Amino acid sequence: MDALVNKRIKQVLKGDKDAFAEIVDLYKHKLFQVCFRMLGNRHEAEDIAQEAFVRAFINIHTFDQKRKFSTWLYRIATNLCIDRIRKKKPDYYLDAEVAGTEGLNMYSQIATAEELPEEELMKLELQDRIQYEIRRLPDKYRSAIVLKYMEELSLQEISEILELPLGTVKTRIHRGREALRKQLSKQSNFL
Amino acid sequence: MNACPERIVHYMHEYLDGEISREHELELKFHLQSCVDCQKHMHELSDVVAFIKGAAHVKAPTGFKKSVMERLPKEKSHAGVSR
Repeated sequence: MDALVNKRIKQVLKGDKDAFAEIVDLYKHKLFQVCFRMLGNRHEAEDIAQEAFVRAFINIHTFDQKRKFSTWLYRIATNLCIDRIRKKKPDYYLDAEVAGTEGLNMYSQIATAEELPEEELMKLELQDRIQYEIRRLPDKYRSAIVLKYMEELSLQEISEILELPLGTVKTRIHRGREALRKQLSKQSNFL
Repeated sequence: MNACPERIVHYMHEYLDGEISREHELELKFHLQSCVDCQKHMHELSDVVAFIKGAAHVKAPTGFKKSVMERLPKEKSHAGVSR
C-alpha cells in the first residue's frame, strides 16, 4: 500500500492530478469516518474531509515519503476538525441536513452539550447511541478515543497524528474511557 | 469511594491498552479477586470498550471524490508553494 501511494505521490508531484484521485479513493472512507465521528454531522464531515484532501494536495511537496502517508493525512483532517469544533457555536447543528443520513436520525445531530432524558436515550438505536456518547466526550478525549477504537490505530500512530507525547495520548484515552464509563453508568440498565 | 490504591485503576487501563507488565497484571488480578467495587469498575471499562467498538464503519458519501477533485486548485500541484 505504501509503495503504491508513494508512486502516486510522485506522479502528483509531476502534475498528474488523476493520480491524486486514486489517493482520494484509497483514503476517503477513513478520512470521512474520522471527521464524522469527531464532528457528529455528515454534512460538515464531508466538507472537512474534502478540505483535508485539498490541503494534502496543495501541500503534498511537504510530505516526507519515508513516513506513513495515512498519518500525515489524518493529522491534516484532525487539525481541521479541532479548528472547526473550536469555532462552532453550540446551536450550529439545529438546521443541519438530516435527509440521506443512512439511518442516522436527528439524535445523531444533537449538539454535544445537550443531554437527553433517560426515556429518550432508551429509544435510541445502538449506532445513534454510540454516536451520541462520543459527541458528549470532551474534544481532546474524543479525538484520541475515535482514533483508537474507530480507526483502530496504535497509540504510537495516534501520538504522531495528534502531535502529542505518547504519555499524553495514553492519559487521554484513559480519561476518555472513564468519562464514557460515567456517562453510561448513569443509566441504571446500561452497563 | 474506597481505600483501594490508586494504581489499581491505572493498571486496569494498562491492561486495556495491552501494555501491562506481568507484575502489574498479577497485582491487578489478585486485587480484583478480593474487591467487588474494583471488579465492577473493571467490568464497566471492558463494557465501554465493547460498546465503542460496536460502532459501524461509516462510508464517504457517493460523489465524494468528484467533489474533492472539483475543489482542487486549477494550477499545477506545486503552484502556490512559496506564498
